[in-house]
Amino acid sequence: MLMKLALSGMKSKLKDYLVLLAGLVISISIFYMFQTMAWNRSFTENNAVINSIQLVYVLGTILLSAITFFYILYANGFLLSLRQREFGLYMVLGARKDKIRKLMFIETIVLGMVSLAAGLGIGFGLSALVGRLMAQQLQADLTGYYPVYGPAIGFTVLFFVALFIFSALWNQLKLARMQVLQLLHGSMRADRPWRSSGWKKVMVVVGVIAILLGYLSLTFMEQLREIGLFTATIMTPLGTYLLFMAFLPPLVARLKKSHQLRGIRAFTFGQLSFRINELTKLLATVAMLIALGAGAIAGGLAFWNDAFIRGETYRVYDATVHDPNEAETNVLAGIPFKERFTYRYKLDNEILYYAKEDLESQRPLVHSQQGRDYWDQLKRVEDPLPKATADSAGKAVAGESANSSAGGVAGESADGTAASADTGIESGVEGETAGGIENGESLSSDWTTFLWQIAPTNLSYSDVRLADNVQFDALEAKEQIVVIGRTDDFLAYRSSWEKLDQLAMEKSEGMGVTWSKYENYQRALGISSGTMFMGFFLGIAFLAMMASCLMFKILSGAAKDIQRYEMLHKLGVRRERLSRSIYTELLLVFLFPGIAGLLHVLVGMRLFSFILAEPYYRLWLPILLFAVIYSAYYFITVNLYKRIVLR
Amino acid sequence: MAIKPVIEMNKVSKIYGGKTENQVFALNDVSFTMQEGEFIGIMGASGSGKTTLLNVVSTLDHPTEGTVAIAGTDITRMKARELSDFRAQRLGFIFQEFNLLDNLTVYENVALPLSLQDLPVHQIMDRVGKVLEQLGIAELADKYPATISGGQRQRTAAARAIVHEPALLLGDEPTGSLDTKNAVGLLEQMKRLNEQQQISILMVTHDAFSASYCSRILFIQDGRLVQELYRLGSREAFYKQILNVLGDYGAAAAEAAAKELSAVEDRG
Ligand SMILES: Nc1ncnc2c1ncn2[C@@H]1O[C@H](COP(=O)(O)OP(=O)(O)OP(=O)(O)O)[C@@H](O)[C@H]1O
Ligand SMILES: [Mg+2]
Repeated sequence: MLMKLALSGMKSKLKDYLVLLAGLVISISIFYMFQTMAWNRSFTENNAVINSIQLVYVLGTILLSAITFFYILYANGFLLSLRQREFGLYMVLGARKDKIRKLMFIETIVLGMVSLAAGLGIGFGLSALVGRLMAQQLQADLTGYYPVYGPAIGFTVLFFVALFIFSALWNQLKLARMQVLQLLHGSMRADRPWRSSGWKKVMVVVGVIAILLGYLSLTFMEQLREIGLFTATIMTPLGTYLLFMAFLPPLVARLKKSHQLRGIRAFTFGQLSFRINELTKLLATVAMLIALGAGAIAGGLAFWNDAFIRGETYRVYDATVHDPNEAETNVLAGIPFKERFTYRYKLDNEILYYAKEDLESQRPLVHSQQGRDYWDQLKRVEDPLPKATADSAGKAVAGESANSSAGGVAGESADGTAASADTGIESGVEGETAGGIENGESLSSDWTTFLWQIAPTNLSYSDVRLADNVQFDALEAKEQIVVIGRTDDFLAYRSSWEKLDQLAMEKSEGMGVTWSKYENYQRALGISSGTMFMGFFLGIAFLAMMASCLMFKILSGAAKDIQRYEMLHKLGVRRERLSRSIYTELLLVFLFPGIAGLLHVLVGMRLFSFILAEPYYRLWLPILLFAVIYSAYYFITVNLYKRIVLR
Repeated sequence: MAIKPVIEMNKVSKIYGGKTENQVFALNDVSFTMQEGEFIGIMGASGSGKTTLLNVVSTLDHPTEGTVAIAGTDITRMKARELSDFRAQRLGFIFQEFNLLDNLTVYENVALPLSLQDLPVHQIMDRVGKVLEQLGIAELADKYPATISGGQRQRTAAARAIVHEPALLLGDEPTGSLDTKNAVGLLEQMKRLNEQQQISILMVTHDAFSASYCSRILFIQDGRLVQELYRLGSREAFYKQILNVLGDYGAAAAEAAAKELSAVEDRG
């Protein structure tokens, strides 16, 4: 009989149960999504650039478990609140308490099992879908990744069965301690005014210390290594929770106080302060999830950008084409280069001669310094070119040259010595330089680097020299040219670079490698695509969990709010004003964790500084991406909520 | 002073339920006029349509048929915004249940009608303080509704209903959960408002003592106005008169109640 009553009671609250079920199902499916990565050791290790990737996953699992734990406990509390009034009524009418407790226990377990089954099903689908989408988008190779993965299923089931049994027992305990009247009036609560107390001050201090420790370990991850990873994982969330708990309630209380007689705003902040105590923990969770989600996506993007940065470090000029044929000329013509130079050269007697005038009149850009940190700091080569040395006469004393070049070059030189060892260019021997000239006699290192970069890869030569026009024309060998070009945006013309590479390959009949900037970029992309995939995959999972948390919180409270909005409506508050009040209230609810989460991301990106050249490069992109998604989500939530409370 | 009608109800019907279901005539062809400064009570059995009548007058509910004019304005033609503003400025409410916002303190609840109109703070504090004093709930100002008694809640609701000095005060059993002393306090307060500030009051009540404060009583049965009673002499005489009328309807009401009870038993 009681069972029947309970079932009919559930039916009457179907909407609330659906919200609850949706919340549980999403959290389970996302937990599972994460586990498909965490347990697939061979996949993660093969695809990550990070050495201790497994540790990252272990810590991630711990963190996610903690978050899920609180989330489920909270959802469970909501289940109890749905039922307690009804149960109280049964007890008033004479139902025995142990019967009611049994009922509650069964209900919790059944709900848990149903959501576990549904959550796993959706988890399979989500993992497969997100995996496929990402693989397509990133052209990542996902062999070894399984959306339906045994160990992940096992762990998820184990974790949630334990969790549901725990929360069922928890509800038992709460029920056992509650009096009938408490049950009956469960939904009526008073707002306890916030009071500063000793342990709250302790909370602030501990919170600040924890956050600082967390941030410090994120910043000095390179030095602290595994210890840093541990401290960051534990301290950052701890600090976040404590500070949210310590600062949000008094802040809202102050807001409320200052708007006490400001009409609808008094109501808005009253509403907020009424629930802020139970909101703080959830908002801290949301902040952490935002940090993890946006951080994972930003990390993924950073690896993506890293490929670009590697490309930029490798070559300043996007295209380098030797003796373009017709097809190549056409492709080049279609690219809006910002800067396009053509240099002539001849290979004579194992010696590569560049037309000095070309270099003189088309001074190229080079990196201002060597190394990845200077990938985007360019300068024009200002160094003087040495005197042309095309014939043996060139090796004579400086002043002897009749047609000293226009630039008034100080000295002469065969070439510099700074060229990298693996350039394939036999640098001129230092001793080769004719004696008697004091300074600036050799090619400067900038020039050397540049000449190495534009050198033909399919020819072999033992020396590189410059030749003035007369000398150059006098050389018997065939005149060849190299065309280099730089665009505003390397990534925008990827298809053109690919085409050029292809044509170059055809030209060399499959012999040799193109060594192009594009190829280098592609190779770097290939290395980081696995990490990128994980970043995006987990980012999406965390953000979805965040969305589910926030949505659940707001919708689960909506039923109780209906009455309040109805009352205001009766008192003559216009609909638009009510709507504005909702926008304001939820804006604050969204704002706090949003800001905290982004702050974590800003600090947390330092974490990658030991693998990536510039973890902060284009960070605005993922942040903007997140802001757009989050705002869209805000508007969706507001409208859903409005539809419930403003009928 | 020229007497103007505050409420003019003309052949108003309110039908719940669609065409296919069994329809409920919550109001059935109700017509009456309330003059400015009147204090009218509405009495009738449970489910007879009292709350529905009040809701129609208070612009919260639309009549299925007929017209309702308040202070000369046909509210059945007003737009939602105008209705909101009308309620906010001209009407005061004490509802049968869920009167207060549980997320605001007593003080904030009472101040709400004024602060919603963006009155200057000192003016708000002035008036709220006075009203709280009048209704004897000044000490409760900073408490939340969940922590005060039912009667205190009702008085808070009354304070909120009169704080902005509305033209028409509507009450749905305002004394319903009050003991005699508190009920008398509230009724005296309403009487003062009615006599001194010319606030018109329309109040639903089931108890003859509260009704005896009115100047006129409308009796409603199954959605129809079946009788009205004017107060001519003293309150005591009026009280007896009301009891008599109720006695006549008492038999009918008892019958209805018996019917309802058996229906409940059938279902159970
Ligand atoms: N929203 C509704 N839908 C359908 N029927 C309704 C609705 N509201 C009221 N009724 C019906 O209309 C009739 C009048 O209801 P009303 O609330 O006006 O009664 P009342 O006189 O205020 O009763 P009480 O003294 O118990 O408050 C009742 O039969 C009720 O069942
Ligand atoms: Mg009623």
